[in-house]
Amino acid sequence: MTRLDSPRVVAYAGLAAFGLIAGLVVGRVELVALAAPFALAAVVGAALVRDPEISAAIALDRDRALEGEDVHVSVELSAPAGADRVEVFLPLPSELRVPEGNPRAVALSKSRTLDVAVQCERWGAFAIGPLLLRSRDRLGFHSWEAQIGAARPLRVYPSVETVRTMLAPLETQVFIGNQTSRAKSEGIEFADIRGWVPGDRVRSINWRATARRGELHVNQQHPERNTDVVLFLDTFTDVRTGGRGTLDMTVRAATSLAHRYLERKDRVGVVSFGGYLSWLLPASGTRQLYRIVDSLLQMDIVLSFARKGIDILPPRTLPPKALVLALTPLLDARSAGALLDLRARGFDLVVIEVSPVPFVRPGSDELAKLAYRLWRLSRESLRMRYEQAGVPVVEWVDGEPLNVVLEEVTAFRRHARPARA
Amino acid sequence: MYAGELAYVWTRDPGLAPITAAIGVSGGVLLLYGLLFRADDVMPWPIVLLGIAYAIPLFVRGSGIDEGAPLVGAGLLLCSELAAWSFDERWRITAERAVVVARGTAVALLVLAALGASGLVLALAAAPIGGGLAWTALGAAAAVLVVGLAARLGR
Repeated sequence: MTRLDSPRVVAYAGLAAFGLIAGLVVGRVELVALAAPFALAAVVGAALVRDPEISAAIALDRDRALEGEDVHVSVELSAPAGADRVEVFLPLPSELRVPEGNPRAVALSKSRTLDVAVQCERWGAFAIGPLLLRSRDRLGFHSWEAQIGAARPLRVYPSVETVRTMLAPLETQVFIGNQTSRAKSEGIEFADIRGWVPGDRVRSINWRATARRGELHVNQQHPERNTDVVLFLDTFTDVRTGGRGTLDMTVRAATSLAHRYLERKDRVGVVSFGGYLSWLLPASGTRQLYRIVDSLLQMDIVLSFARKGIDILPPRTLPPKALVLALTPLLDARSAGALLDLRARGFDLVVIEVSPVPFVRPGSDELAKLAYRLWRLSRESLRMRYEQAGVPVVEWVDGEPLNVVLEEVTAFRRHARPARA
Repeated sequence: MYAGELAYVWTRDPGLAPITAAIGVSGGVLLLYGLLFRADDVMPWPIVLLGIAYAIPLFVRGSGIDEGAPLVGAGLLLCSELAAWSFDERWRITAERAVVVARGTAVALLVLAALGASGLVLALAAAPIGGGLAWTALGAAAAVLVVGLAARLGR
């Protein structure tokens, strides 16, 4: 531990020396009496130099938590000879908060365990620790400081919204899943009746229709298939106000959607399109959910001026017939261009506009108000471009349930059919 | 505490009150400045100034021994310790009650011990043990020892 001495000890010794010499020179014992308390304090100060040799360890009650939950951090302190006053400070990122007791000063006899309740206010991957410790002697003449304890990882997952309405893709994949395909084949849900052809199974004959029409008719069903869903996240910019922002909304929505689609046995992939490009190939299962959530935790805004298109993505990232769900604040021209490019290539695209408008305050002067109006108009214009390209764009405002937005898209796409070039 | 000490110094010799008051008040202003602006490096100066204000009447027209000297010395130490405590609490640190009580007790014990030591000095000075070169040399040696200690701590 690094020792720091209070300048008081030196000052006391200096005052004592000054008083003693002045007393000798002037020949007044009162000055010596005046100096004596400071001499005693200096001697006491010099006698209190003793390294407390504190050791500490940090342990978390769990290494994964949800937004809004509390994680308890146990801080084990031990000092063979004890310490009069130990100040313990647990440095935390701004997303985590300790309501009270950080830093705190405690007395340490030999060993002691402190419990620190940490509130997880925002999602992310964090490291808790090392501890900052400062020990003082009883009179505060000397202090010892050190950084002790290994950092412990903590992953805070974004809270998941309840999503009831799932967007159905225009085309399904060939594997079995929970999504009723529009195609007609073997399945559970009734689709149509047609005339019998050689090769049809006897069990599929609709006897009632056959009796009425005088010739063999068979039932057709919609098969249950899975879908490929690609969550396209625009991470070029983040607009934040008061602890909430578009990136938070994007990550929460992506987590909720990935969770629900994977529950339905669909394959889900993620493309983070921003200053820092990352992707996860579509896959299904619980492991994929953890992969997606872990990749979302690393998501951050990285400033970049590089021109980027979808050409830089590996082809397998965007499989054919995949439903591309884009979560974008519609602020960066590069992501807008990439999405229009995807549409031009025939992808089934839905744009969920994570609205930055609630996070932006119009200025007070006329010029700022004009700029704000122009900005809103340019957003309207971009929205129109998507709609002209046949892409449903729906605005998601902070505080509104994601389910409402998805219902809106479902209503828009009710009679939609895949476009063929 | 500082104001009480200043009042004692001021009332001891009303003839020199303007000078002692001026020096003492300037020390008080420095103390207030140090506490308000967290300037702990000015803290020895209020103590030194009050000590000078106390010493001036002794030097100018002192004849008998002032029995209040141990109280003045212990009071100055208490002032300094309380100011230092205030500086240590400048950061918002939640302290356990036991820690606060321990420091308060330690300060009280130190001040009481200082009062005792100071009183012992006065008692020894009043004791009829005579004077002479040996005692002066012993006093000088004590002064040199304390200066040496100060220099060692200063390094």
